[in-house]
Amino acid sequence: MSNPPTESVEPTQDQNNTHSSETQHHRQNIIEPILFYPTALIAALILLWVITFDLIATTHQRARESAITSATALVYTYEAQVLRALREIDQSLNVARRSYELNNDNTMLPMLNDWSLLLPNFLFVTSITDADGNVINSTSTIEKHNVSDQDYFRQQLESDQLVLSRPWQDPYTKAWKLTFSRKVNTPEGSFGGIVFTSVDASYFVSGYEESQFGKRGVLGIIATDGIFRVRRSGEDIVSGEKVNFSHLLPNNEEVEEPEEPVVKLQHNSWDKVKRYTVASQLYEFPLAVVVGLSEEEQLQGAVQLKRVYLLRASAASFAMIIIAVVLLRLSLQLKQSRQKALQEQISHAKKVEYLAFHDSLTGLPNRSFFSQLLSHDIAEAKRYKRHLALLFLDLDRFKVINDTLGHDVGDELLKQVAQRLTKALRETDTVARLGGDEFVVLLPEMNDEKQISSVAKKILSSVGKPFHLAGQDLRVTVSIGISVFPLDGEDEQTLVKNADIAMYHAKERGKNNFRFYSDELSTDSLERLALESSLRLAVDRGEFLLHYQEKHDLRSGEITGAEALLRWQHPTLGLIQPMQFLPLAEETGLIIPIGKWVIEAACKQVSKWLEEGLPPRCISVNLTERQFTDAHLLDDIAKILHSTGINPAQLELEITESLLLRNFDRALKTLSKIKALGVRIAIDNFGTSYTSLSTLDKFHFDTLKIDGSVIRDIANEPSDKQLTEAIISVGRTMAMTIVAEGVETQEQADFLLASSCDQVQGFYYDKPAPPS
Amino acid sequence: MNSKKQAQHILKLALLAICFFMASAHSEVVVVVSATSPITTLSKNQVAKIFLGKSRLFPDGSKAQPLNQSEGSLERDAFYQLVSGKSPAQVKAHWSKLIFTGRGQPPKEAATNDAVKQLLANGSVNISYMDRATIDDSVKILELQ
Repeated sequence: MSNPPTESVEPTQDQNNTHSSETQHHRQNIIEPILFYPTALIAALILLWVITFDLIATTHQRARESAITSATALVYTYEAQVLRALREIDQSLNVARRSYELNNDNTMLPMLNDWSLLLPNFLFVTSITDADGNVINSTSTIEKHNVSDQDYFRQQLESDQLVLSRPWQDPYTKAWKLTFSRKVNTPEGSFGGIVFTSVDASYFVSGYEESQFGKRGVLGIIATDGIFRVRRSGEDIVSGEKVNFSHLLPNNEEVEEPEEPVVKLQHNSWDKVKRYTVASQLYEFPLAVVVGLSEEEQLQGAVQLKRVYLLRASAASFAMIIIAVVLLRLSLQLKQSRQKALQEQISHAKKVEYLAFHDSLTGLPNRSFFSQLLSHDIAEAKRYKRHLALLFLDLDRFKVINDTLGHDVGDELLKQVAQRLTKALRETDTVARLGGDEFVVLLPEMNDEKQISSVAKKILSSVGKPFHLAGQDLRVTVSIGISVFPLDGEDEQTLVKNADIAMYHAKERGKNNFRFYSDELSTDSLERLALESSLRLAVDRGEFLLHYQEKHDLRSGEITGAEALLRWQHPTLGLIQPMQFLPLAEETGLIIPIGKWVIEAACKQVSKWLEEGLPPRCISVNLTERQFTDAHLLDDIAKILHSTGINPAQLELEITESLLLRNFDRALKTLSKIKALGVRIAIDNFGTSYTSLSTLDKFHFDTLKIDGSVIRDIANEPSDKQLTEAIISVGRTMAMTIVAEGVETQEQADFLLASSCDQVQGFYYDKPAPPS
Repeated sequence: MNSKKQAQHILKLALLAICFFMASAHSEVVVVVSATSPITTLSKNQVAKIFLGKSRLFPDGSKAQPLNQSEGSLERDAFYQLVSGKSPAQVKAHWSKLIFTGRGQPPKEAATNDAVKQLLANGSVNISYMDRATIDDSVKILELQ
């Protein structure tokens, strides 16, 4: 029921719209970072690795090219060195041969050596043989033997060319040697022997530099017979290996012109090392030079770089992943907190909206929302020619509960009443709280008066069950006024006003019931309204006046004081008695300004009497319940005492017994504060209610006023007599001044005198009258 | 036959070893120049450079013309050991490389200490080394720093 029909209620629709659009917005925000960061990460990783592999490939390619270039350069250099060395050897052999052929002197070799026409003899040993191969002269004294069994000697028999021996090992030093020879002719032109020179094979690879070739490069000379004359790798020098010559120089014979040497990456057959290998065949000799650079060594730098690049790329990838994850998490957190803030805003807005249209205490629609609902329902009822009932509810005695048990209890009661009303009604009905203890119920489609009555009865019985509040069971009743559309009004204001009037009459008729509106009610209400408005004006216009009834000392008969009694001099109705307007004043709260005026006027009268030279008199003023509970009472009294300047003891406030019993503790507090001002307090109408002696004792009243009803039948009723005596006796014991009210006969006065009553007032002495 | 040859070989080696021992014990190699040479002192390193083909000039700018004793002589081996700390094989390898790569020619050689003195005297060389025992007035010993 607190959920109104949606078609008419804009706030609800707005909420829905806002909500759905917000949800979509949220989804977009959540998806965005989840997609963005991984995509960016993958793109960055791909880029990183593409660059890294490209760099590695480039580095490798450069290293390969550099190895090939180096090998090519080295083979050219080596080829030139070998050629020069061979020519030097050939030249020195030719010198020796020619000298021998010309001089036929087999001792001239040392001499040639001394002249530096031969190669340095600490490296080269040059010798000459006869036709049988016997060494006949040598630069070395040790070289004296027969060489006819040597391959170069046999080869030389048939060759005029320079002959290179196969490598042979020195029997003593175990060093590999190479021997070069030339044929020596006799003067007759026949074979006369050979001249030959031997040198360490290592001589031809002494140019091996580790800085150029590395530890596993290769430098060597191979003959066309496929036998390595010498080969060096690092410090290892080997001679005599046979390998596949054509494998080193594959296309040698097919190429007409000597081409540039081609570097090939191959596993060298002799030591299984993979090298950038290049061989170049010498033009004049049946030899080829071989240069090789180990792939592993040449690419070592590149491989190391590759490792570094891979490591760096891996580290960078790792860092990027970490960063991406962190960013993703951070942005998700940001999104979430934004989302949360947004949702808080929305819920706050919803709350504000809800508060604007609902009563914060009970959660029911409030006055403005109800007004919308009502006008909507009226429009509906008009369109479909239906009836519509409006029930105006007011809790009886709510104010008393609020004042005596406190606002918290009052609020809790309102909540529970709201729950019960909601429960007692159908879904389509509406309950709203207009404020205070006023509720309205809207019954659409209610045509039958019986139906409406049964709903009203249901409400009465539902609210009538006791409420358990503040530790006690509380009974609350409700008065209901009912107006029906369109009979009792065709617009919102009229319907509400008429239901209110009907409610008021229900209340007047004894509360806890309901009443349908009728035109007569309206008339009554008008009177009441008129009275209320003129009462309001009366204060300002000074239409109130006070009458005084004197109090007499019984023994002396002197006037001791007076009780001030309120009268209303209405401009047209004349003098109005308090019972005719005081209930309305009390109900509407007008009693507060009126009461204040009464006290002030009474005090002024006291000081006036003093000015007139009369003896000091005490003035009594009645306090109503509402006055007594008014928060400003004490302030007001103090101000009045101050402004009039009278002795506070000349003012006496009269309080009824029943007023004390509503809230004992609070009353005690208020009374003690009044007494603290020096003002006297009288308990009025004593004997009509059930005040206990302990109550009297606690409040410390100054005066006890015996109610007129107690002493009325004193003459005839012995029990009344006894009661009066008892009261007087109690009062005296508690040191109170005893005043008897409503004394009308001589008998009563006599009796009271006999019973030691202090003072009296009543028609027997005088009627209330304006001050003389 | 065979065992006899072996025994002879061992004997030869033993004799050679004794000779080496005697030589090193009783002879000393000194660097010499002609008695008229203005040079009086060189460092070992400077001498080594000249004899290993790394330097062709004396510190005073004049041309150095070194003279070696013959390959395998005790003086030669002792000399290189003295000035450069190189063994005969290392010296040989060094010159092999220089000659093969065309970057130098080895010093002339003299077969005996007397030949050294003679060549120094006639001015065809101006620095050499020899056994201290064979020194005479025609040469002067170079102080090595």
